[in-house]
Formats: sequence, structure tokens, C-alpha cells
Amino acid sequence: MAKHRGAGGRVAICAVAQTKFERDKWQVRFQGMLWEVVEKVLRQTGLQFGAGGIEAAVTVSDDVFDARTISDGAITDVVGAHHQSEEKVAADGAQGVYYAAATILSNHHDIVLLAGHCKESQSASRNQITHLAFDPFYTRPVGLDYVAAAALQAQAYMARTGVTEAQLADVVVRSRKWARENPVAQETAAVTREQALAAPMLAAPIRQSFMYPVSDGAIAMILASEERAAELTDRPVWITGLGNCYDSFFLGERDLAGNFSLERAAKKAYEMAGVTHPTDAFEVVEIADQYAHQQPQYAEGLALCPARQGAKWLADGGPEKQHVNRSGGMLAGNPLILGGMARVAEAVIQLRGEAGSRQVPGAKRALAHGATGPAGQLQTVVVLEN
Amino acid sequence: MSNKKEGGPELIVSRQILSIAQRFSTGPVMGRFLRELRDNKRIMANKCPKCGRHQLPPREVCALCSVEATEWEELGPEGAIRDYDIVYYSSPDPLTGETRETPYVLCWAQLDRTQGDAPLWHLLNAPDLSKVRRGLRVRVVFSEERDGTMGDIKYFEIIE
Amino acid sequence: MKKKNRNVAIIGSGMSKFSSHREEVNQPELIHEAVVEALEDAHLTMDDVDCVLHGNMELFEMVHQPDMWHVLGTGAWGKPGVRLTTGGTTGATLACAADNLVASGLHDVVLAIGFEKLEEGHATGGITNMADPLWGRSLQTGALTGTAAQKLIEQFGEERAKNAAIKMRIIMDEHAMRNEKAHRRLRLDRKYMKQIATQTPPLVGELRMIHMCSQSDGACAVIFASEDKVAQLGANPAWVVDHETVHREETLIFNSGKSTHRVAAERLYARNGITDPIHQIDVFEMYDPSAWWGVDWLGDFLLCESDEHVKMVENDQIAIEGEFPLNPSGGVQASNPIGATALVRVAEAAMQVVARRANTRCRVM
Repeated sequence: MAKHRGAGGRVAICAVAQTKFERDKWQVRFQGMLWEVVEKVLRQTGLQFGAGGIEAAVTVSDDVFDARTISDGAITDVVGAHHQSEEKVAADGAQGVYYAAATILSNHHDIVLLAGHCKESQSASRNQITHLAFDPFYTRPVGLDYVAAAALQAQAYMARTGVTEAQLADVVVRSRKWARENPVAQETAAVTREQALAAPMLAAPIRQSFMYPVSDGAIAMILASEERAAELTDRPVWITGLGNCYDSFFLGERDLAGNFSLERAAKKAYEMAGVTHPTDAFEVVEIADQYAHQQPQYAEGLALCPARQGAKWLADGGPEKQHVNRSGGMLAGNPLILGGMARVAEAVIQLRGEAGSRQVPGAKRALAHGATGPAGQLQTVVVLEN
Repeated sequence: MSNKKEGGPELIVSRQILSIAQRFSTGPVMGRFLRELRDNKRIMANKCPKCGRHQLPPREVCALCSVEATEWEELGPEGAIRDYDIVYYSSPDPLTGETRETPYVLCWAQLDRTQGDAPLWHLLNAPDLSKVRRGLRVRVVFSEERDGTMGDIKYFEIIE
Repeated sequence: MKKKNRNVAIIGSGMSKFSSHREEVNQPELIHEAVVEALEDAHLTMDDVDCVLHGNMELFEMVHQPDMWHVLGTGAWGKPGVRLTTGGTTGATLACAADNLVASGLHDVVLAIGFEKLEEGHATGGITNMADPLWGRSLQTGALTGTAAQKLIEQFGEERAKNAAIKMRIIMDEHAMRNEKAHRRLRLDRKYMKQIATQTPPLVGELRMIHMCSQSDGACAVIFASEDKVAQLGANPAWVVDHETVHREETLIFNSGKSTHRVAAERLYARNGITDPIHQIDVFEMYDPSAWWGVDWLGDFLLCESDEHVKMVENDQIAIEGEFPLNPSGGVQASNPIGATALVRVAEAAMQVVARRANTRCRVM
């Protein structure tokens, strides 16, 4: 892979703001929701839009979730894009981080606003939306949506590794415990293993409690070149590793119990960051666990534990030891396409030492992960350091 | 449904109608505009505290100044046509699926007392198309049954 | 101008045939046509590509996150990629993104793919969904409006404006007749200019069917590579010098304030030492969704202050043999697979630069 970071230097995340994530923000349009966080990052950095300030916006949204063609046209007002650049990444927000960093590494921009929004509550059903991700002739007629795809993935993964339903329930219990320490988290009510296991079955083995909840929210970040970062913050967080990778489309062609695309994405990001021993390289790990089984599965893909050892990793307290998802993770609630962006946001908050009661003391390096598509077809990995 | 091309094999195409029910928030800004239409038959615009221009329909933030436009003023109900479109192409109304009778007229009318370039966009009731021109004086006509949507404005009518 | 982290060139491109009827292929298959042609053009295989960009509008075909299914045609399996979408500008955004991703050092060879299969949905309905559901959706008529015609008629008088629009339409068709990939090749004859203008149905105001772009199915793929790769492959490069993106506030009023076209052109020219665009640019591939917009936007892009752009149409300066060839491909009036369209402009411009080679400068917006 190319290793050319000469004139472009490094990219820093200099400010982060998140709305509280909620089941139904019916009181605001998505524009209002997004402005709440954009205004915060403007205040944190003292920046204004225009030459010498924020030169460009990279946004994250999805036309089907917004029920609007070119839905980024609806947010130019709030991302300062009048007579400025705005480019929309229509995938998980970690992909937005990936692309926004590239616009700075290329030396095209110095300071970029990254802004993502989604209101899952707007549609009658998220499953109707993700059903549309399947081809109209072969996989739509059998009723696939992302929950059904994740259920097939969970079955395959649990069969291969022996991860049990009770272990998945414990992942949820732990998510709720940490979510209570995160002021923006959505699902903070304590649950017991028994309660999690009694939740309605959505698509076996995925119970309602094992799936991220319907969620509305927005996230904004300021990314800057090394030359400009110092003006904006005394606690820059550096993006030191980036990687992403697609798997194939048809679920039957994929090793659903494995991590084909995540392993490749992680390898790239680790090479770029100089990470050689991922098991002990990170003080903070944020995994986009849209479904409970994905936490151990993706931990394997990220090489936080050996392949096929997810059950043992859970049994040995791996998530707690490696500080996985102190934010509460996706299971505590983020809109689907902001999952990876929220993970990056938490990593930045931890590396800035601003995580309050969930702070990992002395955190130096963090791993953030995002996933897009059915059963995590596209995987994104970001390494961050302070 | 099939489609046989000359000399080739039959090609099957799959016809599907896909729709997902939506519930759109109006928020405090557009929500107030729609409430005023419904309850008081008033066109209320918000105003940027920095540059002083109106936004119609109101939006959360002034795109030029990046500040919330928090002041409110009543505009119109009379104004002048800034631009118009005489529509001959009968596209379906995406909200109802109904095809409109053509020709019909759309206009952007700058309401009296508007500061900045913020015309209101709606149908124009123009029985005589040859009369439609820029600068023509028009007035907002409200629907008798109102439900807090843009349909609460029936159309603009020409002031004779 | 800021120096790029490293230089980037276009080394190959491919396009499907554009048509209103491509029932014989499904979406990934249509994309595959363009990808295969681009790889052949660049003398590469998929193994050489280390990033795949994808763009189109989801609501046109009603496919959510279509890059997932389209992996079957894009070749992105096992590779990095990014999906970007910005409307009619999507293809140009993909080119900007490919430029950024290669210049950044993250990737050496980027394959950018723009796509649309408009026959599978309702294009005007899809565009109408751009409007805010609370205030414009029951009013918008897709991309159809007569306001550009009104503006030109007011500026240049009815007869001159109407003649310029239909003249541009005919020139674009003459260009399309030279392009086998083009969708609409109508063989319009200059002798019947007046009849052509009046004998097609009116859509909105003075915008008639003949003035408006087509609704096309099609895909375009363009390969971008780093300077090192260009040398290593011995490729025939069209260097990407600079790019600029300009958006505007959310309103649906036309002709308000300075156009985004003019702002973008001014910035790009200022950064790249272009003081006399008409003479410093050899060929221009423009996104011209209608003949009326074509005439008007040409004036904006070339920073015209009076009627220079109308004269350029009147005196055939924009024809392929003229001093300022505009859209030798036939442009958007001939073919408009929306998510691919702006990338087609980039691909066509790159082909022109490579073919003309000697001392050529080309700018695409």
C-alpha cells in the first residue's frame, strides 16, 4: 500500500459534538438536529465558515432514510455550504471520517467539517429500508433485510465458535451498564441476563435486546491538517490508521462466521499506524456492534483475540479488559449510518480525557470501527492517537 | 410482465411499487409557519438577526450568516410575481399520486415587506395564461379547510 | 495554489452504451460494461485497482446502499471503497474524491464509477423528491422549469434567445452523431431550425421536449492513478490539476444572486492562472441538462459579462470545429444517466486531452 504522507502530513480531529441519541426526536427536523452539533463544534474551535476557516463540509446521510433525493441539499444551510464545498458520503459515518481525512491528506483542504445525521424514527420501519438494499429479483423476494442477514450471520458465528445466547445477553447487560455513564447514550435502563433473554425474538437467534434500538441523532467533528490543528485545540486527536474493505454481496458466497472484509480493513489500518500487536495496542476500543453477536465476532476480525475464540474472549472478560465500548456501543443506540462515526467520536472523547466516569485513565491509542451493509459487508477501521 | 426483443430471448422485467410510510417532523421553525397558516391564515417568515433577510418558508439557520433566524414577521398576503412556470407536462403529484390537469401555473411571488430574495412558491390561479407576467400583483388565497400543510394556501390569485 | 500531496492523473475510462432501454442487463451488469472497458483502456486488471468509488441516487432505482449489490459489477470485493452522492454532480464529486484519495497517499489506483438506470424508476418523480416534503414536494416538476428561458429572453430578446437555445441543441446533436455511445442521436438538421423548435411539445414555459436532456441508463468508470503509478505503468495520463465544489443554500428559487457555476469558475481560474478562459481552455465538457441552461451556464462558466456566450453559439464557436468546442460528446442533452453524467464529462475531457496531448489544458467542472 501507498505510504505517502509527505506534504499532506497528519490529520487531527479537533472537536466533536453529539446530540443525545433518542428513540424519537419528533420535535425537530433533521436540520435542527444537525445544527445543534454544528454550532457546538463552531463554538469549541472558534471557527467560522469561509476562506481561512472551515473550507468544506463532508456530510453523512442517506437518501432513503431521509426519504429525500440528494438529501444533503437540505442541510447546506446548517453545514455552512452556501458557496462552499459539500460532499456527501452515503454510508456509515466511519467512511465519512475516512474520506474527510483524505481531503486533508491530499492537501486540498486544511479544515473540514464532518457532519452526519439520521432519523430512523421517520420511517414506519427500518426493515423496509434495509430490505431495499437487496436486489429486486433474487434476495428481496425471500424477504431479506439487515436483521434477517444479521440473524444468518449470528447463526453461523455461534455455530462455529460456541458463543451462547446467555453470553450475548451478558454483552447487552454490560452495554447498558456503561451506557449509564455516557450522557449521550440512549438505552441506559439496567437489564438482567434473564430480561435480555426474555425479549421478543426478531429473527432467530436475534432478540430485540440483541439489536441496536431505533435511534435519532447527529454528530459533528472538525478535522484539520497538522499545520492548523494547534490553532483549534490544545488536545488534538490524530488519525494514524485508516482501512476499509468490501465483502461480496450474496450472503451464500460469504463466510458469514468469519471476518473477510474486516480483517483486510484492520490490516491496512494497523500497517498505516504501525500497530503490530493489536491485542494490547489500544487503551480504548469501540466496536460497531449493531447486534450483540457482532461484538465478539468483530473483536476476532480486529485481531483483539484469536480467530474463532470469541466465546473464550467473552468468558475471560475480554471486553472489560480491553476497554471495549465504554460508550455503551451501538447496542446502546445510534442510527445505523452513524454507528462508526459515534465510535470515532467516543474514541476522541476518551483520548482527550473528557469521558468522565467512563474515562480510561491515560488512554493513548484508540481503535474505532464501523460497518455498512448486510451482515457488515463493508468494514471500516480507524486508529486514533493523542 | 415480459418484453420480447426482436430476434432475442424473452426478457422478463419485474414491476414493483415500493413505498415506505413516513412521518416528517416540522420542528419549531417550520412548525410555527404551518401553525400560523392553519390557525391564523398568516404568512409568517423568520428573519436573520445578522443580515436582516427573511426566509420563506422559514428554515432553522440563515445560510449566509450561520446563525439561527429567531425573529418573526408577517409578510404579504399581497405581493408581486418574481418568476413563474407554465407547466404543460402532467407529472404526478408525488404526495397524492394524482396527475394534475395541464396547463397550470406555478409562481414565485415576493410578498410585500419581504427583505432579501425570498419569494413564496405556490400555484397561481390564472384562467388567462396570456396575462401572466413578471411583476404582476398577486394575493394569497387560503383554503377553507386547513390542516397545517402548504395546502392551507390554496393558490395565489391575480389582483385585478 | 496549494501544492498537491502528490500528482494524480486519469489513465483510462469506460462507458456503457447510454439508452432509455437497457432491459437486457441488470444494474451490476450495466456497471460491469463500463468497468471492463475502463480496465482495458488503461491496460490494467482489477488486481491493479486498490480503491473503488461508487455513486448514484438511491431513490431513482429504489435501492438502498446500492454499492453493496453492485459489488457484483464494480469489482470492489476485497477492496476498499467509498460511496459518495451529491445529485447531478455525483460523477464530478467522484472525480474530486478520486483525486483526493490518490493525492492523499491512501490509494495508488482508484476506480470511480457513476451509475444510473433511470428506466427502473421514475426520474422526474425521483428529482421531485429533492424538494422538502413540507413545502415544495407538491409543486416541483422534477428538473423541468422555464425560468432559464425566461431569464435569457429577458436578457437577449425573445427571438435571439430562442434561436440560441435551439442552435445549441442542434450543435449538441451534431456532436452526439459522432459519439456511438450517446443516447439521443436525432440527426437534427439546421435547415429546419424553426420547425424543430416549435414542433415538439412544450414542457414548462419555453422549455420544450427537444431542449431537455434525456432519461438514460448508463454507467461510467474512470481510473485515477498516482504519478508513480503512471510512470511505472507507462500510462498515457491526463493530469488532474485542480477541482472545486460549490453548493448553495436550500431554496428552490432560480437566478438568485451569483450562480454557483460562476463562483466555482472564478475560484478555479484564480488558483490556476486562467485569466482568459475562452482562449486558455481548449475544450469544455459541461453539465447542460437543457439547451436553455446550456446557453445560460456557458456564460457563467466563462465569466461572460454581456452576450459573449450567445455569440459563441450563434457563430458556431462552440461547435467541434470551432475555437471553443463545447461537449464534443454531445453532452447531457444527448445522454443523461444522472449519477454517471458528470463523470462522463470528466472521462470525455480526459480523452480529449490525451488525444490532443501537445500542450493542452483542459478544465472540467
